[in-house]
Amino acid sequence: MENDKNIPSSIRKASIKKNWAMFKQSKLGMIGLYIVAFFLFLSLLQPFLFITGIWNLGTYDPVVGYSEQFQDFLVVDCPKEYPTEKYQSRTDCPARNEINIKTLFYSDAKVGDTINQNLQPAPPSRKHILGTDPLGRDIFSQIMEGSQVAFVLGLLSATLGVGISTILGTIAAFYGGRVDAYLMRQSDLILMLPTLPLLFIISAFSELQVWHLAVVLGTIGGLGGSVITIKSQALQVKVKPFVDSARITGGTKMNILFSHVLPNVAPLALLFMVFSVTGAIASESVLSFLGLLNIDMSWGLMIYLAQVEGYIFSGMKFWWLILPAGLSVTFLAGGFYLVGRGLDEVFNPRLRDR
Amino acid sequence: MTRYIVRRIYQLIIVFFLFLVTSYVLFDAIPGNAFQTLLLNPNLPPEAYQRVTELFGLNQPLHERVILYIQNFFKGDFGYSYTRYPKTPIELIAERLPRTLMLFAMVNVVSFYTGFLIGKILAWRRGSKSETWITVTSVFSYTVFYPWFALMMLWVFGYKLDWLPIGKFLYPETWYESPYTSDEIFISLIKFVALFSIVQILFFIFSRNIESISKRRNTRLASFISLILLSILYWNSGDFVNQKVYAFDIAYHMILPVFTVTVVAFAGTALLTRTTMMEVMKDDFILTARAKGISQKRIRDRHAARNALLPVVTSFIFTIVTIIDGSVLTETIFSWPGMGQLILDSVLQEDIPVAMASFSFIGIFALIAHFLADISYAYLDPRIRIQSQG
Repeated sequence: MENDKNIPSSIRKASIKKNWAMFKQSKLGMIGLYIVAFFLFLSLLQPFLFITGIWNLGTYDPVVGYSEQFQDFLVVDCPKEYPTEKYQSRTDCPARNEINIKTLFYSDAKVGDTINQNLQPAPPSRKHILGTDPLGRDIFSQIMEGSQVAFVLGLLSATLGVGISTILGTIAAFYGGRVDAYLMRQSDLILMLPTLPLLFIISAFSELQVWHLAVVLGTIGGLGGSVITIKSQALQVKVKPFVDSARITGGTKMNILFSHVLPNVAPLALLFMVFSVTGAIASESVLSFLGLLNIDMSWGLMIYLAQVEGYIFSGMKFWWLILPAGLSVTFLAGGFYLVGRGLDEVFNPRLRDR
Repeated sequence: MTRYIVRRIYQLIIVFFLFLVTSYVLFDAIPGNAFQTLLLNPNLPPEAYQRVTELFGLNQPLHERVILYIQNFFKGDFGYSYTRYPKTPIELIAERLPRTLMLFAMVNVVSFYTGFLIGKILAWRRGSKSETWITVTSVFSYTVFYPWFALMMLWVFGYKLDWLPIGKFLYPETWYESPYTSDEIFISLIKFVALFSIVQILFFIFSRNIESISKRRNTRLASFISLILLSILYWNSGDFVNQKVYAFDIAYHMILPVFTVTVVAFAGTALLTRTTMMEVMKDDFILTARAKGISQKRIRDRHAARNALLPVVTSFIFTIVTIIDGSVLTETIFSWPGMGQLILDSVLQEDIPVAMASFSFIGIFALIAHFLADISYAYLDPRIRIQSQG
């Protein structure tokens, strides 16, 4: 790292500034950055709200919170045959502000009365911005918890994966020969492993925790295809004149590797990191959607619960159970992807507009 | 070229053995020895217990077990399924493989082709408003949470509009008096699709050398229409007349899964094609072509797109595994009883022999798909051909 000290900080600052200006030019990249920032804000907001006491843990806890939600309901008698004038099909009755008299116990209400009842899932209100789930838990708080999980998992697995693949890729490029051949066969093998069935099998081993998943995903991602790409980049750097001159001036192999080759591979590695966050978030959601992950709350689990409890085919009647979680996964993964694309345009001069 | 293929096959065999060893060690590492605990299952008779113990050599050291496993793999012997006792894992797989193969092949072809076409247009219209919108849509469908999206599609098309069936791959009512099993129908469907696409590709290759663009397009359209007429004839001839109804039933159930996966899978190809096209368009030969006064469409299709195809095919090699993953999910959500559902079920029920067999088969599946993609890549890239000759 002696090499770093020789670069004046002003030059480095200028280079960062230049790259930032270039990144800013890509509109979609900026949108991605805003999306990521928004979710980061959400995930930091929840502990803040709990610590300052604005939110009461008993009511808003994403896993065990509960609050009563009294609403006015119109008592109706659902017809036996559909369609009728008011209802198209069986799922339309009772509508959202109505309650079927056949499901009403311990009450003397008659058809046409309005009664005040505690019924979950409750629609969005001032107290619960995105409503509650069938167990009376706040959906907005769950979304925040889910984004914490997504960030921890995504960043952990991406850092691990990129660390492994950068080191292995540069070693393969630098030493060549047998080491190279071995590493390439290894990544052929990893590339071939069907990830999702593999994760199913690993989930049969033990109760998968989030950090287990992060380690597994990071290792698979790190040993796979990215090694090949980083190796080819490192090969290009290796033949550059400055590496030769470093060798002539007596730099050791380690020295050259760490202070000349690695910094030049770093942009590509950063790119991989951003892209692999997308994959990690999607994998986590899929696994918890299938109920294979031992986790208290996540976006995938929210959709899993909505599906298991039969709210998916109720359509837009219970939209707050279905849309927020699905869209959060999509948007955060998309946000990271867009940032990656923006970075790609910064690092890859051939993609630039001019 | 032959030398290249031979070398690839040689590597393939090595990777294949590595894969077998890895997968066995993985299953063996399951804590509590899943083999033995589940063999105490009351549904299994003691003979089966004996047989599985001998087959997997459960009382021998690890390295001998691995060798035994590889031997058994080539004999096609995985013992018995724990949950569906008299059936063997191989029988289960033989029953389900055609279904997965059909879905997988359809999705792959359709999504790759649409993706490439859209990516081509995207790169060409850089900076226009339609480009931004198509890009945003592609990014959305690339990163959309797939199970959620599939459920939404099911809700819209299967439930709300009621156009397409929800789940399963046939209507049992239609099949009560069927003289065929569903697998026979699947196999004849696969044969038909393979034949159809081969003829289509042949037409494509022959029409490639027609110089004028409008003429080429007309030839292709005519060939496509005649192919459709031919396929109608095909299904009305010989034995296929009776199979027609059942084949149609399966095809009808396949529309929604194929459409859903295509919407998700095309975007990756489209976005990558866009990137590589943009790189290629910076090259000097495009400028030369422009200077020569060749029409825009021709530059796009002949000069830029053809050179941009290479990296797209490479990435396709990488994404095959992703598509297999996707089909596992598709099968689970659309309750399409194929390999993916088999592996998920067997893992959930801890039916180790079936999980092992189906994991190995999915691996082989991926391996062969990889190999084919590699070969086509070598065919497309003259540099590899020349290198392997010299």
